[in-house]
Order: sequence, then structure tokens, then C-alpha cells
Amino acid sequence: MKAFDAEILLIEDNQDDLDLTLHALKRENLANNILVARDGEEALDFFFCRGSYAERNFDTPPRLVLLDLKLPKVNGIEVLQKVKSDPRTKSIPVVVLTSSKEELDLVRSYNLGANSYIQKPVNFTEFRQTVKHLGLYWLVVNQPAPQGACEPAGQEP
Amino acid sequence: MTSGMIPETRNHAEKTSRDSGELLRVLLVEDNAADSELVLRELKRAGFDVTSKLVQAAEEFRLTLEEFVPDIVLADYNLGQWRGMEALEIIRNKALDIPLILVSGALGEVTAVECIKQGVTDYVLKDSLPRLPISIRRALREQRLRAQRKQAENELALKVEELARSNRDLEQFAYVASHDLQEPLRMVAMYTQLLAERYRGKLDEQADKYIHYAVDGALRMQTLVQDLLAFSRAGREGTKMSPVDCNLVMRQILKNLEAAIREKNAVIKHDALPTVRANSSQLQQVLQNLVNNAIKFHGEKAPEIEVRAERNRMEWEFFVSDNGIGIAQEHADRIFVIFQRLHTREEYPGNGIGLSICKKIVERHGGRIWAESGVHGGTTFHFTVPAPDEKENAASRGAEPKNLDTKDLDTKDEEPKHEPSGSLVSR
Amino acid sequence: MKNLNMSPAEVLLVDDNPADLDLARDLLIANEHPRQVSAVTDGEDAVAFLRREGRFTSAQRPDLIILDLNLPRKNGWQVLEEVKADPKLRSTPVVIFSTSEAPRDIGNCYRLGANSYVRKPGNLQDFMAVIQSIGEFWFHYACFPRREEQ
Repeated sequence: MKAFDAEILLIEDNQDDLDLTLHALKRENLANNILVARDGEEALDFFFCRGSYAERNFDTPPRLVLLDLKLPKVNGIEVLQKVKSDPRTKSIPVVVLTSSKEELDLVRSYNLGANSYIQKPVNFTEFRQTVKHLGLYWLVVNQPAPQGACEPAGQEP
Repeated sequence: MTSGMIPETRNHAEKTSRDSGELLRVLLVEDNAADSELVLRELKRAGFDVTSKLVQAAEEFRLTLEEFVPDIVLADYNLGQWRGMEALEIIRNKALDIPLILVSGALGEVTAVECIKQGVTDYVLKDSLPRLPISIRRALREQRLRAQRKQAENELALKVEELARSNRDLEQFAYVASHDLQEPLRMVAMYTQLLAERYRGKLDEQADKYIHYAVDGALRMQTLVQDLLAFSRAGREGTKMSPVDCNLVMRQILKNLEAAIREKNAVIKHDALPTVRANSSQLQQVLQNLVNNAIKFHGEKAPEIEVRAERNRMEWEFFVSDNGIGIAQEHADRIFVIFQRLHTREEYPGNGIGLSICKKIVERHGGRIWAESGVHGGTTFHFTVPAPDEKENAASRGAEPKNLDTKDLDTKDEEPKHEPSGSLVSR
Repeated sequence: MKNLNMSPAEVLLVDDNPADLDLARDLLIANEHPRQVSAVTDGEDAVAFLRREGRFTSAQRPDLIILDLNLPRKNGWQVLEEVKADPKLRSTPVVIFSTSEAPRDIGNCYRLGANSYVRKPGNLQDFMAVIQSIGEFWFHYACFPRREEQ
């Protein structure tokens, strides 16, 4: 794997939350490389293989993306919308992990194609548990889309 | 004799010769009637029972050929309106294999050789007519041989196609059978297990035992069918070839087999391995299978395994050597046969399918696979991968190889693809 | 409790195999987080249930759909496509639960908007563990949109 490929992409600008999440994921040994994007623009550069991620290619997507909605430069909803409307990136599992309790954010996220939506617990232990379980589900139970599945698929067998 | 077509002539005066004479159908291309008479007389004298037609022009020739297929065409070189050589064209256009012999007056040596180069079978000068029958007989003999060979080739091609079709049918059957068997098997396996769980201790001891046997049988059947499916997939899949860096493959294998390696304290070393042209996930299957076997079939000592490769002219030969229990030389071939096991299930687990899959994959790549016992015990498995292009190999060693394989071992359930992959190596 | 609705979570199970359906339903129900499990055995019933048509007029809109692919009448891909194309239904997470491991099948599901793809295991322990994981993640950790009042 190249240096800019990752199994998990965290899109988060809050340092505390980031630390907690990274810690919880590493503790469970769920992934070898975890990449962090700190704002929406960097996230989009990653997804669309441009800017500082120009050497990435669409064939090696992360197995899981954790997306906060409150992001500088480009907000999470917009990132979600762009990623889920492009056939090259729409199959990547994107789980919204946010402190927002807004019903609107919830509905909009699912409508835009978020694979799931999780509210960040305020409690430290619960937060860790949540990250652990979401990691286990999305990296172990869930089957990601096959690599190179970006082209429009053929008919069903 | 006038010009124009003369209907079939038959020498009525020599009935006896018709019975014992060689039948010969001749198409004469000649504008001089006297000359044609001479030719026919010569043929009769040589013992041929001749049926002939005479034409003088190209169109006539073409038309006549539609109804009268001769054994031989005898043509004059110079015919005023058209050259006898054009008859050759016409014969060719009709895709017929009829020898054409030029029967000509003066014919320069150079011209004659030129004509033969263009496809004329032979030439005979009109003042050497006695040579004609010899020439005809030789031409016919050669033509007969050609026809026989062509027929043999056609028959062979048919048989090969039939065999290929039969193979495809068998593979399709194996695939469909094992694929369709999976669902009902899953039912049996799962729900006997459920029975075991829900009713353990609630029925009598016999019942527990019977249920246990049922569960065991069902689970074994499941693995057998899965293995069979994997085996038939190895044959169905398209082989999308690309340059594969075997060092990266080994790294992935070591990662995949991490648990087993740790458990058995196995030591695996490999030299720098080449980049070869292969299907990356299938090549990984082969190497992983061989390494896994080497770990599995260890003796009392912890497994020590070495993987290396050597180049022999047009191929790379890979070696996977271990210090394990070894294989008796008389069994060395059997182990590649599907489901052949040399040990009981208690001694070493497994269905005995891995090596047959390896063999299938290696052979589909155009290579060979075999096993040899080591001098100090243990076994070395050899397999070859064709490396046709010396230059390509040199270039690929320098260029950045792209390894597209993924971690999971399961052969992918794809429709066979036969398109060649884009080459990632500059030639 | 992560579900923003106060009432127990509603699950729709779609599977034509009655054995799997029964087992999955039993496993999903027997849990500390209360949930109602409805089940249908073919694709057309699934869509009718979701649209509250035909004999399903009093059906409850589910918070989660667990959907097999090989279904009679309408297959799983068609159901998925219809759900994700319907603005009233598409915010409902759909978890594909199928024995197929074929990359093409998996890829197709994601392309059609499936939220998750889970392989249905062939042995009991794994089956139970997987259903457990699905139930736990989606009902303990994930959030669903509030169900509209009907």
C-alpha cells in the first residue's frame, strides 16, 4: 500500500475527538493505516485524487470513512453529497460521526447516501465503545465494494 | 477440328483399356486442334482412360469448370487471346486443388521456372510428349497426398473442438453442481447445528450422538463442496495477466498466514524474487497454498521454509522447500490429483484439494509443477512460469510493478474474461 | 438509546427462505433493545409493505430493512433500487444479507445505494454472531431518522 492509501479515513477537525477516535481504533487493532483529513477540502482532494493526493487512484479506496459534519472550508454535508453522487466514489462506506443532534442533519445525511449516522457520545467510555463497535461492524462484518468497482457494473447474474 | 467446345470424347475403340485403364478427366486449354489430338493420343497410349473437354478462352474455361471438374488441366502457354497462366488464377479463385501442367511449344527456361514459381505444377514441351504421362502421374500422386493430409487435419480439428467442448461442459457442470449444492447444504449444516444446540441434553444420549454425526457430516460436505467450487473456478476464470512482483506477493502471503506461522514457530525466508507475467491473484493462491502446506505438514521440528526462483532460458522456476515430513517418491504424482490425501484427517486436516488447484493454475499459465524429496528429508515443490520475453523481464525489473491482488483467498466468482490486460510494462 | 424515536425500533426482514427468516427473526427479537420484526418472503410484498399497499395498509414503516437478494417475483436488487429511488423511503438504511460473495453482486448493491452488505454465513455460530452484530450496531449505536406520524 502506498503512503497515501488508507484503510480508514477520518475526516475530523476537533483534536480531542480525533485523539479519542484514533486511540479507540488502534486499541482494537482494526486497521493498519488510518489517514486523517482535517477539513472538507482536504477530504475532497483525497476522494477525487487531486491536490496533495494526486497520486492516489480510485481503485484503492478506504474500507471505511468516518465523517464529521462540522468541518472548516467545506462542510461535511457537501463532502457527503459530492462523494455519494460520483460513481467513482459512491461505493465507499461513509459513516457520519458527528455531535449534531439535528433531525435535519440526520435525514439529509441518509438521503444523500450516508451509509450510517452515529451521534458522538459525550461520555468518554461510551465514545470509545461506540468507535470500537462501529469499527468492528464496518471493518469485519460489512463487506466493502470490490476494488476497481468504480465502473458501472454489468447486469446481475 | 473446329474451335469451340468439343463434347466429351471417349475412345470407343479401346473398350478393353477402359476396364483396366486409369481413369483421367482432363481439361485441355488449347487453340490448336491437332495439338490437342496429339496430347489425347499420348495419354491413351500411356494407359489412361481419358474423359476430356477442350476450351480456348477464359470464360469458357470458367464455365466448364462449373460442370466438369477435371483431375488435371493441360494448358498451352500461348493462346493468343489469353495466357494459359490465367487458367491458374481461375482455378485458384474457385479454391480448387487441380494440378495444371503447361504443354507448350517453345518455352524458355526462365519463363518455365517463373511459371512453376507461380504455381504451375510442371511443364512439358510439345515435342517431348512422352514425358507427359509421367508428369501427370506424379502431379496426381502429390495432389492425392495433399488431399489426404488436409482431410486428416480437418478431422483432427474437429476432434479437438469436440474435446474442448466436452471439457467446457464438464467444467460447467462441476461449477454449477458445486454452486447449486451450497444452498441446500447450508440448510442442512445450519439447522442440524441448531438442533444440536437447542436440544442437547434434552433428548437421550443416543440422540445427541446422532445429531453430532449429522452435524459433522454436513460440515464436511460443506467444505468439500466449497473446495470443489474453488477448484472449478480455477479452471473457469479468465486469466488476466499482468506483471506480478513476487516479493509483494510473498509479503501478502506472510501477512495472510501470520497466525499459522506464529502458532507453529515457522521460519520462512525468501530471496529476492522476480517479477513475472501472471494472473496475480492466482499466482498468490499457488504460492500461498505451497507455503501453507509446508507449514502444515511439519515433522517434529519447527517448519523451516525457503522460497526462491531461478531463471532457465524461457521460464522462471520457483522452489518452495521445507524440512517437513516429506513425500515418498512413489506418491509424488498422486498428490496433485484432486481429493487425494496421503494422511488421515486426524493426522493432518484438509481435503486434499490445494495441490490440484495449484496444478490447474500453473498449467493454465503454461507451466509445470512437481515435487521432489529433499536429500535430508523434507520436500521441495517446483513450479514454472513462462517468461518469454527477455527484454520484457529486464524492463519490468526496473519499472514499478503494480500488484493488483487483494487479501482474500476466495477465488472470485466472475464470468470468465478473456480479454488481455493492458500491459503495464513498456516494451 | 440511540434511536431518536421513543418507540421500539422496527425492522423489516425480507428473505424467501423460511428457515433463515425464522432464525433471524428469533435472534433479532431476543434482545435487550426492543424491536418489532416484520417479515416478508418476496420482493413484491416487500415493496407493498413499504408503501403500505394491498394487505399491508396498517404496516409500520421500518427503521431498518434487512434484505436478501434472491427473492421470487421481485429480486433484492429491484427492491433496493425502488427503495432508494423513492424520496419517502430512501433515507431508510438497507442492509443486504445474502449468501453471495460474488464481487459483481456486492458492487451492484453499493451502486444501487445499499447502506451495508453482509454475507450470510453457512454455519450456525457465525450466522448467529452476524445477526447479533447487525442488531447491535444498528439498534444500539446507529441513529435513524424519526418516523413520520401516519
